[in-house]
Amino acid sequence: MSTANTQAPINPLGQWLSRYATGAVLIVIIYAALYTVYAVQQPRALTSYSIAALMNNTAPLALAAVGQAIIVISRGFDLSVAGVISICNVTLAVYPLEGPGGAATSVAICLAIGAVVGLVNGYLVAILKIQSIAATLATMIICQGIALVILKAPGGYVAEWITYEMTDRVWQVIPVSGLVVGAVVLIWLALKRSIWGISLYAIGADETSAALSGINTLRVRFLAHVLAGCAYGLAGFMLSAQTATGNPTSGTPLLMLSFAAVALGGTSLAGGRGGLFATVMGAATLTLLQKVLFSSGISSFYTGVFQGVVLILAVVFCGLLARLGDDR
Amino acid sequence: MTTSSKAPSSHPDFTKNADSRGSAKISRETISAISVAVLCLVLLFGARFINPALGSWSQVETVLILGFFLVVLSFGQGLVILTGGLDLSLPATITLGGILATSWAGTGDAAQWFILPAVLAVCGAVGLLSAIGVIWLRVPPFIMTMAMSIIVASALLGYTRGTPRGYAPDVAVALMKSDVLGLPTPIVALVIFVLTGWLFQSRSVFGRYIYAVGTNVDAARNAGVPVIATQTIPYVISAICGGFVGIALVGYSSGATLRMGDDYLLPSIAAVVIGGSSILGGRGTFLGTVGGALLLTVLGTIISALGLEFGLRTIVEGSIILIALLLLREELFQKLRSFGK
Repeated sequence: MSTANTQAPINPLGQWLSRYATGAVLIVIIYAALYTVYAVQQPRALTSYSIAALMNNTAPLALAAVGQAIIVISRGFDLSVAGVISICNVTLAVYPLEGPGGAATSVAICLAIGAVVGLVNGYLVAILKIQSIAATLATMIICQGIALVILKAPGGYVAEWITYEMTDRVWQVIPVSGLVVGAVVLIWLALKRSIWGISLYAIGADETSAALSGINTLRVRFLAHVLAGCAYGLAGFMLSAQTATGNPTSGTPLLMLSFAAVALGGTSLAGGRGGLFATVMGAATLTLLQKVLFSSGISSFYTGVFQGVVLILAVVFCGLLARLGDDR
Repeated sequence: MTTSSKAPSSHPDFTKNADSRGSAKISRETISAISVAVLCLVLLFGARFINPALGSWSQVETVLILGFFLVVLSFGQGLVILTGGLDLSLPATITLGGILATSWAGTGDAAQWFILPAVLAVCGAVGLLSAIGVIWLRVPPFIMTMAMSIIVASALLGYTRGTPRGYAPDVAVALMKSDVLGLPTPIVALVIFVLTGWLFQSRSVFGRYIYAVGTNVDAARNAGVPVIATQTIPYVISAICGGFVGIALVGYSSGATLRMGDDYLLPSIAAVVIGGSSILGGRGTFLGTVGGALLLTVLGTIISALGLEFGLRTIVEGSIILIALLLLREELFQKLRSFGK
């Protein structure tokens, strides 16, 4: 990160592009362009009601992708996201707790579920040194099994207080789901500047050098998995507020999409690079893309074709910009 | 272990020269392949104690026929993983193979013999597109194959309008439901496939190229390995394997569905990892993968025979993958080796 300053800028334009355009700026521009298209097609898109609805749809994926990004930055993969979200969802649907107190307890339960799974992942990956994709594959399957044991088939009702308040707007303007995601991004911005945050990037860039320079890689990885688990728990909570019902496989569609959001946000899957705000924007872009495709009148059969192509193009574009800066 | 570490000097081997830890690597892979195979046999015949119907010859036949699908898939997946990639598009290529085979057989104007090569060619083209994205456009394999999977699945949804039609082509039925010399054809095909796959991966020049590229791309390029071809072909092979399994599944169950491939992605990766390969590439044997695939299939049949509910079954499956990973840990092998010295 800071080494870029010490090298002579051989290609100033490229350096500038790589610094500003590959981060959050690029994805924000893409999002703004997409939103303009959406607003032209659907003039109602600019009302606070539509914006809130869009935020509500975005929040679960955004939070899942936030957790995923933390792991990806540390050069890992976390498949357990699907399992944690499913467990949280069925727990909230089978044991609905009414009222604000119930909602607080529910959030705590979801965070705890995520933290416990994160602890297991952290133990397997950091201490037993099992490849993260393999370890979290196993924990994901086990979590999916647990979700199926709690609730065999889709059903149940999430507490009304949660489904109503969490999808509502503060003063009829600001969507609650947006506040939740915003709060998580703010917490991240604080964490990123902490010793843990700097160590996380260092480990992702080069674990051996990080360990040699005195970073406790075990602790950093462990904490990364626990925090990611908490983010998945929160994603499960917001998803339940959104769907209002329980489904033992509700987390599965978010697995691949969380990686897509991370990649769209310009976070390198090779680790050591990227940020959470860009990831959230990546998730928002994916959700918005679905809406735009739908309102363009494209047969819903073919939305996947466009999603896939956009994903590839975005990653190619980000990569090109990054190389413009890296190569001379 | 000490004897096998001397073996490399007797015959030159590309993979062993790739790095200095070569000798240790071979013994590790041999141990995991053998332990997985032994575990497989113990489980298969030990299952008699759970349920007398298990462990019989017909049970073994069923396991081998079901294992055939996973072995073929994890061969392709294993090659891609060896090069340092990952193929997440398998569910899509399986479904592509199945849907194209049934709908082309259903229209009736295409000659039956034509279906198999045509379907495999289309699937191969999908693999080629993934490879182009990974190698020329430098999209991470994870994202590229995932995007291809989304694209192909969506195109199939549009192509079939949500409801696949047609029927299984004769060639698929013949493959899955006939006998050769008193043995079911899929079992014969399994044996031939394992032999060919092993020769290709461990004994052919191209196989060694794959190991070289997976271990260190720059070193391989300097050593004169055709890097681009070596990285491209595994994706094509993996997609063709997916398409082939799609056709075979259609022959086995007489119909295609839009989600027929979904349940095979994670097992294909799990089989490769349990078989002792590194998910980061450059390490692993096909025989280990075959053991992993058969182990998963044996476990699947035993667990389903236990009559557990679906959720508990899933927990047991996940735990077994976890236990296998714990047993096959690098450190454990190092300890074993230090005991041997």
